[in-house]
Parts: sequence; structure tokens; C-alpha cells
Amino acid sequence: MFERDEKLDRGVELLKEPVHLDPGFDRRVMAEIASAPRPRAWVRPIWAGIEWMRRGRPVTVSPLGGLAMAAGVAAVLLLGRSWLAPGETAPATATTAAPGSVVQFVIVAPAASTVSLVGDFNDWMNGATPMERVAGNGVWSVTVPLEPGRYRYAYLVDGTTWLSDPSAPPALDDEFGRPGSVVTIGEL
Amino acid sequence: MGIGDVKGESDGALVVRVLDGDTDAFAGLVARYRDRLGRYAVRMLGNTADAEEALQDAFVRAYRSLARCSDPERFGAWLFGILVNRCRTVGGQRAKRQRLVSPDEPALARASVPHSEDREALREAIEWAVAQLSPSNREAFLLKHVEELSYDEMTELTGASVSALKMRVARAREELRRLLTEAESV
Repeated sequence: MFERDEKLDRGVELLKEPVHLDPGFDRRVMAEIASAPRPRAWVRPIWAGIEWMRRGRPVTVSPLGGLAMAAGVAAVLLLGRSWLAPGETAPATATTAAPGSVVQFVIVAPAASTVSLVGDFNDWMNGATPMERVAGNGVWSVTVPLEPGRYRYAYLVDGTTWLSDPSAPPALDDEFGRPGSVVTIGEL
Repeated sequence: MGIGDVKGESDGALVVRVLDGDTDAFAGLVARYRDRLGRYAVRMLGNTADAEEALQDAFVRAYRSLARCSDPERFGAWLFGILVNRCRTVGGQRAKRQRLVSPDEPALARASVPHSEDREALREAIEWAVAQLSPSNREAFLLKHVEELSYDEMTELTGASVSALKMRVARAREELRRLLTEAESV
């Protein structure tokens, strides 16, 4: 590919030799980082959704489901305020995957002790689908296998308080009068 | 060798720990990439002080923006892209300074290159010659021949097209051959 030049080739090999940075370099970097704002961790669960798509699993979301996804980003931000530390925001996402695959539900509730996902898919049983705290700043996540269909769901915080996604389609037909949202997977 | 050839706990795992609040885990990423990226910065900028400034800045910027690293398992490639940009910035600032204080540094450097063909003489000669390249040609040459990246990886880091990068590398090699011959004859 390249015209060979022995002197240049030997010079390149010398350029590949290690360089010696100041022994205190790592310490200086970590000291500066210690005083820097902590990176926001809540974006990380979205990577999982991207990974699902990168692996070639088709994503089919009905218009209603798409609304639910978009709504989830801001929904708990509003209603979950009582579980937030002062000044913190609380983005949340509900990400859908292929029909018959999984749906990821994510909320941010830093002050919560437990968060459960309840809905049609688990007969609204508290504790049947516990969410896991996945980040130090209060991100809770769970993935649920779902067949195509329409599901009502809500988040149950500390076993007592129900949260819906306020800008997601509300579950108006909840016979128990509790707040809830709707996610639709696949084509109905 | 690709950008992400590393051992031990994966980059993705370390990134997740940092985002979970374990700031110390970032030290693992610093230790993993300091030498590899430090070499690029030193070769690109020509001195350790500027290289450390650019590399430290790259690490700190990467930390602050860690949540924007879309593929944590390829943290190294992402960090390398940040460093390439920092080197461009630091190199540009240095060039302005040098135009003020050292207008004929290339001639001074050329005069200092020994005639002998021993290893140290060649090291000085190649370092001097690399420093004479234009920043864009030097960047392409180092990424290709010293860091041994593919053109696709180089495109990802620099934003330049493959054809443009191939032309820069070819021009850099041609210029280096000429400069090494010139240094030998001084």
C-alpha cells in the first residue's frame, strides 16, 4: 500500500515507544474530577433500549404506545416530585421493544425506598414486579416481557402511593379509581 | 490494534460504576488509557507539558459528559475522539504563542539534528520531522501509523472522509521522507 522506506519505518517504530507522563498525572485528573459536577446517570437506561434496537429486534409501537413512551420522559417528573431531593429533576422513560419481547419501565424517585410496577400484566399485585434501583441518583428500572396488547400500568412507591405518567394516555377505565397510564405494544 | 483492546473490567462496567456514583472507578479508565492516549498527545503536540494539559482536559470533559457516551463499551474510542479535538485546540493555541516568541524554531530544530545514524539521532530526526508536518497531516499520520487505526476508525475520530485521510497520510509520508533525508544531509 505504501512505498517502503526503511528509515521512515524505523522512525515510526520509535514513535510507537511509550511516553512517560508525570507520575502525578492520574492524581491531578482525579482531583479535578472530584471537584467537577457528577455526570447525570439517568440517561443510562436509555442505552439498554438502544441496545435492543441495535441487536435487530424490531420495535413496533402503536401511536398510542408512542405517546406513552414520549410521555414517560416527563410524566414522573411532575407527579413524583415528593420523592425528589430539592432541586432535582426526575426524567423517566418507558421504552417498548418488539412484540413478545420486553418493555423497559424507568422512573426517577431518589427518596423512595421501594418502587413496584403494577398493571394488567401482573394483576396489579404490589411486589410482583419490583423495580430495581440502577443508579445512585434514584433511577429505578424493570423490564417486563409483554405480548402485543394494551396495558394499563402505574408505579407504586413505598407500597402506598400510586403514580401514573401524567402526560401519557391515562387509564380512564381503571375500575379502582387509581391513577394509571396506558402503554400499547404492537399493532392492535 | 483497535481502539478498545483492553483487559480487566470492561469499559462499560467502569462507566456504569461511575454513573452510579463510584467516582473512583473513573481512575480505572484513566489508568487504562493514559499511556496510549498520552503517547498520541505527546507525538501530536511535541512536548509532554502540552500533551498532559490536553489529555487531562480530555479526561475531565469525558467525565463531565459521561452520560452522553452512547456506547460505554467503546469508551476508549469516544475518549480518543475528545482528545483529538483537544489536541487540535491546544496545538492551535501553542502555534499562536510560538509565532510570537520563536519565529524560526524549525530552522533551529533542524540545525540541532545530529548527522549520526544511531538510534537517538533517528529519534530526534523523526520527532523533528513529524513536528514539521501540518497539523492535519500529522494527525492522520499518527493515527494511521503510530496508533495503527483503520481508516474507518480514523473517520470516526476526525470527521474527515476516508479519501481525505488517505491523501493526508500519503502526503505526510512523502514529506517525512523528504525531511529525514534533509536532516541527514545537514
